[in-house]
This record gives sequence, C-alpha cells and structure tokens, in this order.
Amino acid sequence: MSLQKSEAQRQIPLEPEAFKQDIYRIVSHPIMQEVYRFRHRIARAMREFLDSEGFVEFDPILIGPVTDPGTRGAFEFRVPFYGKEYRIMRSGILYKQLLAAAMEEGKVYFFYPNLRHEPIDAGRTGRHLVEFVQVDLEVRDADHFQVMEIAERLIKHVIASMSQYEDSLVKIWEFFGSTRTSLADIKLPLKRMTHKEAIDLLMKEAEDPSVVKELERRFNVKKPKSRLSYKTEIPWEWEWYLSKIHDQPFFIYDYPKGARGFYDREYPDKPGILMDFDLLAPEGHGELSSGAAREYEVSRVFARMRETNENPELYKWYLQFLKDHGVPSAGFGIGMERLVKYICDLPSVHLARPAPKVPGVHSP
Amino acid sequence: MTDYPIDEIFRRAKLGELAVYPPKDEFGYNVFGADVYDKPRRFLLLDDIVLLPPQFTPERLEKGIELLREPLYIDVNTESVVGGFKVKMPVVCAAMGGTHIANLIGPKIAEACAEMGIIYSLGENIASIRGYDERLTKQPSFKERAFSYLRNLNDGYGGLVIQQSVEDENLKLWERVYTDPDFDPYIEEGLIAFEIKIGQGAKPGLGGEVLVSRDVALRIKDSYYIPEDPEKVVKGYYEKHSAPGTFTEDILASQIRLIKNNFPRIKVFLKTGPYRDLDSVIEIAAREGIDAITIDGKEGGTGMSPIAGMRDLGLPTVSCLSAITRAKEKGINTSFIISGRLYDGSHVVKSLALGADAVAFGRPMVYSCLGSIPLAQTFIKNELFRYTLLRELGKLALNLGIKGERCKKGVVNYLKSVQNEVKMLTSALGKYYMHRLSKEDVGALRRELADLFGIRYVYDRGCSPLLEKKNIN
Repeated sequence: MSLQKSEAQRQIPLEPEAFKQDIYRIVSHPIMQEVYRFRHRIARAMREFLDSEGFVEFDPILIGPVTDPGTRGAFEFRVPFYGKEYRIMRSGILYKQLLAAAMEEGKVYFFYPNLRHEPIDAGRTGRHLVEFVQVDLEVRDADHFQVMEIAERLIKHVIASMSQYEDSLVKIWEFFGSTRTSLADIKLPLKRMTHKEAIDLLMKEAEDPSVVKELERRFNVKKPKSRLSYKTEIPWEWEWYLSKIHDQPFFIYDYPKGARGFYDREYPDKPGILMDFDLLAPEGHGELSSGAAREYEVSRVFARMRETNENPELYKWYLQFLKDHGVPSAGFGIGMERLVKYICDLPSVHLARPAPKVPGVHSP
Repeated sequence: MTDYPIDEIFRRAKLGELAVYPPKDEFGYNVFGADVYDKPRRFLLLDDIVLLPPQFTPERLEKGIELLREPLYIDVNTESVVGGFKVKMPVVCAAMGGTHIANLIGPKIAEACAEMGIIYSLGENIASIRGYDERLTKQPSFKERAFSYLRNLNDGYGGLVIQQSVEDENLKLWERVYTDPDFDPYIEEGLIAFEIKIGQGAKPGLGGEVLVSRDVALRIKDSYYIPEDPEKVVKGYYEKHSAPGTFTEDILASQIRLIKNNFPRIKVFLKTGPYRDLDSVIEIAAREGIDAITIDGKEGGTGMSPIAGMRDLGLPTVSCLSAITRAKEKGINTSFIISGRLYDGSHVVKSLALGADAVAFGRPMVYSCLGSIPLAQTFIKNELFRYTLLRELGKLALNLGIKGERCKKGVVNYLKSVQNEVKMLTSALGKYYMHRLSKEDVGALRRELADLFGIRYVYDRGCSPLLEKKNIN
C-alpha cells in the first residue's frame, strides 16, 4: 500500500464520526447502497430458510419490565411506562422461550432490534454497535447440538444464495481493499471445538512473540496472554486471532459457567460447563452468533439468577411461566450487521447500517 | 431487684417493634457499633495484643547502610499495594452508603482520601437514594461523591471501590459506571474496583436496614421492602429493608467469575463479614481470582442495625483477623483488608503483622470530619456533654453546617496522625517497609489469642513458641 489514501478512504470515511458530517453523502454512495441491498438479500435468504424449516416469525417485543442480564458490562436503556420504568430489550431471549413453548410449531424467530449501552472500549473493536438486529430463534425440545446444525445449514444457505450476486460483492470487496476474490464454499459440518480446546490452542499460540506483539499493537492491550482464561469469555483480541487463522466459519461450544447469563443451561452431569456455543466467522470477523440450550426448571433458574446477581423479583412473569409451563428448548441469535460485515468483508460493522450507533459516538 | 431492666421494658412497651433499633431520632445523623467496654468486657480485642520491639535490628542496619546515616522513624515507607492499587498508606476508607450524615460529608472525606493517596469506597444505595448523576435530594449524588475523589487523585495513588447491593442491581449501577464516558478514563487507568458485598460486621446475615424519608420511600417503594406503604400511611420516616442475598459456594464462585468476565478492566473486591464459614469464603474467592477481600468484624460500624444484631451476631474482629492469618499461612496471596472498630496506627501495625494488607476505617472518618466543628471540640472535653454530643453530632453538623475545608482538614489530620503512628511503631520494630511486618512483631496478653494466632504469649518465659517447642522435644 502506498502512503496515499486508498480509494475507499477518500470516498467513504471509515470513522463512525463521519456520519455526523454528511450522512446523505455516505448513505447515497453507490457502494453503500450496494451494502444495504446485501442486507436486504441476506435477510430474505434467512427468512426463506427459516420459513422452509417450519418456523413462525413474530414481531419483536421492544419493551418490558425486565430484559436479560447483559454480558461484558453493557448497560440497558430504560423508558418511563405509566409510573414504572420499563427496559428496552437487550435480546429477545425471555419472549422467544415463552413463544417456543406456547406455539404448536415449537419453532419461532424474530428479526429483533436490540439496544445495548456498551462500554466505551467496545466502540474500538469494529464489531460492536449499540443498536443492532439479531435474527433470534428458539426451538422447543431441542438441545444446543441440534440448533448448531440449524445454524450451520442457515449460514450455508445464506452464503450459497449470495453467490448469484458475486459480481456486486466483488465491487464491494475491491472498494474496501479486501483480498477476497470469491465467496467461500461452506463445507458442512463446520468445525467444532470446545472452549477448553480453543483456549489450549490460543495458549500455545501465545508462546509466539510475534503473535503477542501483533495483538498488543492492533488492540492496544498489555500482556494478552494473561487475559486468556479457562474460566471466562475469550478476550476480543484472541477471538479475532482465532477467527483470522480460519477460512471457514466454526463453532466454539461448552463455555464455562460465569461467562454467560442464567438462561444458558448447565450440563446436569458436567457442573460448571454450559450447554452453549458461539458461531464464529473466519478471516478475523469473529463472533456471528451465540446460542444455547435453556435452563427451564424454575429451581435451577432461581439459583442461577443469584449467581448472576439478578433480582428474581423483576423476573416474576418469567419465573411463573417456567414454573407452570417450562419445557426444554434451545436457540441462538445471529447478528445481522455482523453477517453483512462478514459477507461484504467490511472493515467495520458500523458500515452495515445506514445510521450506525457506535459506543461513545453521538451521531444521527 | 435494682438491676432488673424496667426502663428497657417500658421502652419496648412504648415503641413495640421499633424498640429493636437504637433511638430513631439518631438514625441518619449518627453511626453505631457494638460497645466493647461493657463491664465485664465481652470479647477480646486487638488491644489484647502488644507490639514487641527487639533490641537487635538487622534491618535497621541495612537501612542505615542504604541511607549512610542512622535511620529515623520518618524513613519508614508506608507505601503499599492493596488489591492491585498503589497506595501511600495501608488504610482504606470503608464504604459508607446514602444515609444523611455519610452522604453529606462524603465528598469532603473523598477529597481527603485522594490527597492522602488511600483507597476510597462508595457504599450501597447512594445512587438509588441520592441519584446517580442528577441529585434526587438536596444531598450529593453518586457521581459527585465518586468524582470528589477521582479528580483529586495524584500520581496514580489510590483507587475507587464501588459496591452494589441486591437492589442497586435494579439500577444496574456497575453497568452504568462501566459504560459511562466520565468514568472511562479512570477505568482505563485501572483505578476502579467493584466490590461484591456479602456481609457487614454489625449485621452479618441481615440485609440493609435503613430509615428513609417519605419522598424517598415513595420513589423507591417498588424496588425495596417497606413494611408500611408510604401511599397509605403518612409519617416522617419509613423502615426500608434490603434482602441479605442468598449464597452457596457455587453462587459466590459464579458471581466472581461473571463480574470478572463482564468487566475485564475492573478490579474485583469482596466484602464479607464475621461469618463462621469465613475460611471457605476466603478459599473460594481466592480461587476465583478476587483482587482483595475485606473482612468486617462484629465490632464494625453501621448506619443502622438491630441492637441484638450488633450485640450477638458474629465473630469478633480478632477472630476474623485470624482467618486472614490462616489464609496467608496456606499461601493464599490475595490482598486482605480488615475492619471492625479499628482506628489507630497501632491497630494498623498489628493487623499487618498478623497477615492483613490494609485496615479499613469507617467511623473514624466520620468523626474526624465532624470533630472539626468548633463546638464539638469544646463539648467533647466536658464529660457531661460528651454523650449528648456524640448522639447529636450529626444533627449539629446538619443544622450548623459543616465547613467543607474544616471537615477535609479534620480527616487529613486524622490520617496523618495514623500514618505517623505507623511509622513510629514500625521503626520501633526495627523495620522500614510495610510488607516486612510479621508475627514475630506481636505478642498476646491473653493465652487464647496466642493460641489463635500462633504468636508469643507475653507471660511465657522469654522465648518464642518455636523455641519452646524445641525445648519440649
């Protein structure tokens, strides 16, 4: 690369702050228009797939007395509601579990807009938005392994459906300086590794000083190796690295308890390990989706809520529903903007939305 | 028949359920703790341990060689690292919550702590009662108190510890702080810790018991247990109860893990109380990688607690300190902070010698601030007024107004006196660094304490327990 700014940078500024200056110029740019068309095509392909699998789509429920506990420190937004304070959903988890249990089909999905007041440092990852959409689904009487199979077929279907538009994709890739020349041919089953296997692998990689140096430089973190733990979520920089050394999407499953909310079910015979998974995109794009089998017995959920320090009082309707009608289910949510970012190989997730809200940035 | 408690029964007959608490009109204007000088004294104190300076001081020789002169007490370095925070002295300002007096003088105490380079803690219910950013009452908000401290820190010394109670969780206080751009630079600098509070010395096993005014009661009645509905019953003050929270070993371990997972740039502290299973609490918390554990002994202070609770719930501070001694001997190397009626340099040196990394002060901070009221100084000398003064100090302060600078000066003076004491006593022991203090530096006046800590009993024939053992063999 020369010192001269690339074509992409000259025409579409990569900083989220740029949307403050001239939003029309950005959203009307031919390449951005094409990105937005891909969001539409991807959404259509997802609906096609889910409808053919017998899912029922619901409109998202935006507010309620309680939303799920956030992870990684994200705060919730609140709105006044006739003398009470309601919360804007951080995910549709509580409602989709309710509907999967209630509906005869036992399979439900939403295109769920979520708001999460992420910490400022999440704004520097290029992968976090305050406002985003998840395709959030739940299947009754399923476990996490069964919904992982749905997730991989869904990804394969969506990417295969995009191949007819590959010419347009190539333009986007070239514009943003991507080295990609064609869409990956997704081979099922996708690779699966446990959280422990992932950490083992990364611990080994962390022996290599050049890897450590690159992570320190790229993510401005100190001693990235010390941030790896068998007990917690994989840190952002390492998730990026793991994703970068893969060229097909892959699963990480069996996260340790303490890394996820109370609704991810703990193996009855493997205490401390959760029946859950993440689906990661390759090439450095990282997490696309999180999913799990659900805790559905009220006694277990009550104890787990204490572990995450939730106030059970707020979850009255949910606990009552589980007590009277709780059934096993499993599901996942796929981040729409992250999927667009992966397919279009965008340098940052905020480019996947026309008026993106990046943590800490005040923009239209 | 003379000592039959007729007046106590009269009082109960008059007040009913409320008689379990100290006089209501003192609440919010005063702080309480267990009395220990009942006759006879009920339990052993750190005052039953003395410091044992040696004649031969090889470390003083080392220090002399370093300085090229005879060392003095001023050469003692009181700096230390506690829970990952760099501090100028091993003292922590204990968490005080949103009650009138604690909150009103909170910002001034905060400034004093920042100036002295010690850790400052923010207790529960400040944000919920006083407001997070905007003031909900006439009193300082949560952020006012936090930034009175943070903005006055120097050279990276100190650290802010933030508690969140079960009901503060409704506010999502920690998430609010973690995503707040004003806090972010301090988070990046590593100056913030979140403290999981699972106990308090004066009321182990009980939740927060507080009285709140009617406007506050009306505002928070959905989030807290208030026995009398403020909409239906009109009165000045309402009892507000917080749940103590349910814990099992698994729940505690998972909470620590989750907080570490969710707030990776934050240090995690645990505050526990005088529980009989303290050793397991320490072991679990240390295993999960907690940065510091504060243990509050039963003599610890409180804004409000049932009288019977202060009297009869929990282990005395010395027993709690012995749990720290045992943990250190097992090789647990997390930071430990001890509190519970500790208030001078001697308490600090003894605690450190027995394994603690710092001592937390609560009531001394309040009183040293209030003691700066000119009237207080006059009154305190007069035995007759003494009791009334201690009872009424809070009200005096609120009515006469506390001069902010005087309050701060009072706290700084108090901390300086402690620091000076620590230097003198440590130097007397022939030592010049906090981490060098050890069990050899203390001796017990009571056999029970010698056994409890495995330290010398001062009335044994002039040899250490170790030498004794050799003699027996």
